[in-house]
Amino acid sequence: MVIVKRKELSFAERLYLPEIFRALSLTFRNMFQREITRQYPEEPLPKTEVTRGQPRLVELEEGSLACVSCGLCEAACPAYAITIDGGETENFIEREPKLFEIDMLRCILCGFCEEACPKDAIFMSDELELAGFTRKGLVYGIDKLRRPRAALQKRIDYVYRINDRWRNSSSTH
Amino acid sequence: MTKITLNGREVEADPTKPLIHACHAGGVDVPAYCYHPGLTPVGSCRICQVEVKQGEAPARVVVACRTPVAEGMVVETESPRAHETRRECLEFLLKNHPLDCPICDKAGECDLQDYAYAEGQGEGRSVEPRRRLDKRKSLGDVIVLDEERCVLCSRCVRFMEEVPKTPQLTVGGLGSRSVIETFMDRPLTGNYQGNLADVCPVGALTLKPFRFQARVWNLKKTPSTCGECSRGCATSVEVLRSGDVKRIRPRYDAEVNTWWMCDTGRFAFEPLNVEGRITGGLARQGNTVRPVDAEDAAAATARILTAERPAFVAVTPWVTQEEGQAIRALAAEWKLPTYLVSPAANGLEDDLLHTGDPAPNRRGLVELGFQAKSPAEVLALLHSQSAAWLVGERMAALLGAANLAAVAGHKRVALFDVLPVDGPAIEVFASVPLYVERAGTWLNVDGVVRTLQSSRPLPSGFPTLERLISLVSAAARPQGAALR
Repeated sequence: MVIVKRKELSFAERLYLPEIFRALSLTFRNMFQREITRQYPEEPLPKTEVTRGQPRLVELEEGSLACVSCGLCEAACPAYAITIDGGETENFIEREPKLFEIDMLRCILCGFCEEACPKDAIFMSDELELAGFTRKGLVYGIDKLRRPRAALQKRIDYVYRINDRWRNSSSTH
Repeated sequence: MTKITLNGREVEADPTKPLIHACHAGGVDVPAYCYHPGLTPVGSCRICQVEVKQGEAPARVVVACRTPVAEGMVVETESPRAHETRRECLEFLLKNHPLDCPICDKAGECDLQDYAYAEGQGEGRSVEPRRRLDKRKSLGDVIVLDEERCVLCSRCVRFMEEVPKTPQLTVGGLGSRSVIETFMDRPLTGNYQGNLADVCPVGALTLKPFRFQARVWNLKKTPSTCGECSRGCATSVEVLRSGDVKRIRPRYDAEVNTWWMCDTGRFAFEPLNVEGRITGGLARQGNTVRPVDAEDAAAATARILTAERPAFVAVTPWVTQEEGQAIRALAAEWKLPTYLVSPAANGLEDDLLHTGDPAPNRRGLVELGFQAKSPAEVLALLHSQSAAWLVGERMAALLGAANLAAVAGHKRVALFDVLPVDGPAIEVFASVPLYVERAGTWLNVDGVVRTLQSSRPLPSGFPTLERLISLVSAAARPQGAALR
């Protein structure tokens, strides 16, 4: 058992009204200050090139995917979110993904797939929202993952810049 | 045996084999592209160079695959000179090698990739563009040649000359324009082409049925035995994500198949990815067939075999020794004759591996006491006797599904096969796992014991064949008697 010792109230506090006015003054002061609450769905978060959203596949100008289904993102994925099945095409690059699935419920947005990709085919987009009615509906296939290169350009430029910095600093250490 | 010093350590070396064999036997990893233990060494890739000092002469850098072992040889594989020579050699090999690893089927099991990763510089110094050659040259039904990836080790040329003794490939052209080609661009023939993709140290020769099917590190590899002929070659069954068998490859076995296997066995994996299997079994009552679990199917089988006479038991040659033994014990108890449905020779025999007899465990089952009978003889028995227990995968294929369905309705047949057959006589059906999903033993044509291992998990409610047989045995006994 704990005996809580109540605070002895002073006379001004016992009068009640001065404390009410003190509180209201705080409320009124804040009414004229800048709002810090964000009305989230209507007013989205600012997105920068560093924003690491859901991974998306790069679609080249000619409409084919840059992905050759090499499986390195699948191997790098720490959450086992990616499943790839390859197949043969008539294109100059003979291999393309027949099945490319990312289980968005498993994806932890770590960006390892982007780092592992030797073909610059998968990048972290700035798309963050994820909602669905079934688990199966949140396993995204190629049709839901493909984005034109232009839509990912900001992130691509950023990744290239960071990679260059790594490459140049590796000679000094 | 000859004594040599390998990296400062005394080892015994086989004087009939080249120095690289002694290095590998001594646990030293010397890279090799043109050297293959099953082929004549030629020393064309030069990647296996090591430093050798013999007697008073100064140390020399030599190719380990073309140097015979001599008494008192001092071999240094990791000396700076040997290392530098190999590194330079690797740079030349990589100069025109395309950066295809992301799309190459060999990636993950490629000798060139492994050594380039371990020793290479990471960046090329050459400023000239790479050689452009045909990347999709079809060499027959089995093999595709990517000329850019080829390092001209000539393993494939020597394989075709020395193993099936059907020389069909050659190195054509001169100098930097050398490519592997067949005479007049004729397609390759023969039953051993699949081995070309295995002997190729890079991804230049790839298998058409496996092309871009899977990444090799995603394949679960299980040592097994080939079930396409009575040779029983040691194989590795490779399954993608616990599902389909994507590839079957030979495994080294000195007693049976050494490094090779025939295409008949190698490409026999399609039937292993069978669809439409049922868990448990089916039981017929009058004209209706209803699904039952394995226990009920076994009990129904036991009821037929204890009630009806004359009756017999027949197995297919894919049944293992353990399963055969259990069936023989049960048949002896019930005084039933046991037969082996023996497929006819398929005419594919050759001097190398294929025996022409598509019955992998014929010898073992005959030694157990099963009497070999042709499918026609077994069908005649089905028509003349009143009940039968037909056990083993491919039973319907051997006897003919239509022939089985045509057996008259007053006969009582229990069929234990992979896929159900609908026929008035087939009273019970029980689903059995395929040989790549069972564990057990086969005896090959020479009496060598070959083992099977389960290469993918069975769905729940899917008993092994041994368990099914013991269920039949238990169902025939009064309650509790099986506990004896």
